[in-house]
Amino acid sequence: MIKFLLKGILRDRSRSLLPIIVVSIGVFLTIVMSAWMKGIFTDMIDMNANFTTGHVKIMTRAYAENSNQMPLDLALLGIDELKQNLEKDYPDMEWVSRINFGGLLDVPDKNGETRAQGPAACKAIDFFHNPKEIERMNISKSLVKGSIPKKPGEAIISDEFAEKFGVKLGEDVTLFGSTMNGSMLFKTFTVCGTIRFGMTMLDRGAILMDISDAQLALDMENGSTEILGYFNDGNYDKLKVEEVTNTFNSKYSKENDEFSPQMHKLEEQSGLGDYLAMADGMIGMMITFFVIAMSIVLWNTGLLGGLRRYTEYGIRLALGEEKKHIYKTMIYEAILIGIIGSVLGTILGLGMAYYLQEVGLDFSEMTKNISMMMPPIYRATIFPDLFYIGFIPGLIAMVSGNALAGLTIYKRKTSQLFKELEV
Amino acid sequence: MEIIRIEGMTKRFPVGNGEFTALKNVDLSIAEGEFVGLVGPSGSGKTTLLNIIGSLDTPSDGTATVINQDVSSLSHKQSALLRNIHLGFIFQTYNLLPVYTVYENVEFALLLQNMSATARKKAVMDALDWVGLTDKIKSKPAMLSGGESQRVAIARAMVKKPKIVLADEPTANLDSENSHHILQTMLKLNKELKTTFVFATHDEKVMKYLRRKISLADGKVIADELMQTEKSKQY
Repeated sequence: MIKFLLKGILRDRSRSLLPIIVVSIGVFLTIVMSAWMKGIFTDMIDMNANFTTGHVKIMTRAYAENSNQMPLDLALLGIDELKQNLEKDYPDMEWVSRINFGGLLDVPDKNGETRAQGPAACKAIDFFHNPKEIERMNISKSLVKGSIPKKPGEAIISDEFAEKFGVKLGEDVTLFGSTMNGSMLFKTFTVCGTIRFGMTMLDRGAILMDISDAQLALDMENGSTEILGYFNDGNYDKLKVEEVTNTFNSKYSKENDEFSPQMHKLEEQSGLGDYLAMADGMIGMMITFFVIAMSIVLWNTGLLGGLRRYTEYGIRLALGEEKKHIYKTMIYEAILIGIIGSVLGTILGLGMAYYLQEVGLDFSEMTKNISMMMPPIYRATIFPDLFYIGFIPGLIAMVSGNALAGLTIYKRKTSQLFKELEV
Repeated sequence: MEIIRIEGMTKRFPVGNGEFTALKNVDLSIAEGEFVGLVGPSGSGKTTLLNIIGSLDTPSDGTATVINQDVSSLSHKQSALLRNIHLGFIFQTYNLLPVYTVYENVEFALLLQNMSATARKKAVMDALDWVGLTDKIKSKPAMLSGGESQRVAIARAMVKKPKIVLADEPTANLDSENSHHILQTMLKLNKELKTTFVFATHDEKVMKYLRRKISLADGKVIADELMQTEKSKQY
């Protein structure tokens, strides 16, 4: 019987081609949209991880509680030893230290008098020994003029700042602020480059320097505000992060010592956990939407198919096939069509998702005035769930559509068959 | 041996707020191997009677016993089983399944009986041989003439060797030559396989072949006569 039905499906295009096309399109859209949304969310999470949160971040307990104020006096100390231990305990991760602090950037004229001043958002990273940090923050590509700092005393400033105050490469700027111990900070840097990340949040008042310069200026020898951890493969793995965080905190973090280091997961920072939950929720909503929309379309397709096959069902009833059996065969057909359509849609969807993953869409022009941290190029991300996620709307919609349409079989009266079949 | 027995049967249909009586107190008995026609004008109750004999409908009053089974007491499943095993249907408009070949159309009736592939193949080829269509097994219905299509429909009805074949105006869409060919085929099968044929018809061509003619008018049997025509004596 299955072979018989299969022949019918293959030969009757209205039973196969149209539903397969509908299912394939739905599955294709589900896959592409899921990959696209995942890509956007992943890009934004990666960007946050690269610039601020890491896959994990270590701060003192006290600093973590007041991190918005960037309190240097609560920074980590003894970071060299801590990093050595981290590298030993978690060899599949890379550990980098950074210092974030605020200040006032002063631009002197040729007489040494203040020509312009502006708030500075300072970020000190390991320019001299860790090229991965430069790559991670996309600094080389974001440089507008000049080069990255190559020797102590050099800094990159925001191109916007440089343009506004007419600062040229090679000129000196002075950073005012306070050191870790509360003393006044005066540190002069030579501008070796200007930078534009393309995100207002990062570009406004940005000044980047090597961490050794910052440690020296801030009296923070062997200290940093944070140590960030990244998995060597670049992928954020929730389970691994959970394990790393738990083992680290149980070993190093002490509740009664506010200066003890404490590790924080990415999703615990900046509301990224809610963001991840929202991403999953939106993907779930999208799949639900496609299931409902496709079910309605396939219900109608099933109804049309039912009308076209009215005679066939009549003959089958007359020949002694039970209504229940006819209904069951309809469902089997729907499952078969659903699987074929889902496989086809999944292949096409993955192909498109791969293209969008590799090439992406450039929205930098549209997002240049947005102050949120957003990537300029949006890409899809292929993730394992994509290989089966399309089967949910594909199969459910096809089967539920046909199940609804097939209910008409139960309403059919066998006493009318002679009349119905003699049209 | 009696194969169909109808006693005091009435069939009423709801029409608007009232009822329409299609069959009124019908008594009838048909023996195994008969070649019988239900004859009468439109609205006389032929198709309703055929429906009830075919367990597609049930009487409002009285009883209809088909192959020792009371049609009124059968569940949907039992009715379907009765049709599946013992009854064959031939329709005016052939009703072949267009996407399947001649062979597959005939085979379909056996698929519902879970017959083995080998037995099925033999039965289908035998049935197509009876109707003279073994050379058309791979043809689709669209490639057949009206006569050929009706012969496929006969093969489909006969392939499971049913005890009773019910045919509603089987020659209405056929020309004279094809009608005779079809009726001769059915008469031959009636003779060889002892299958009981019950026709609903008002076609004069069919009447020439009948051995028994039951005339209906306004839902009542008004005449029940044995026929002795030249055609009916052929087999």
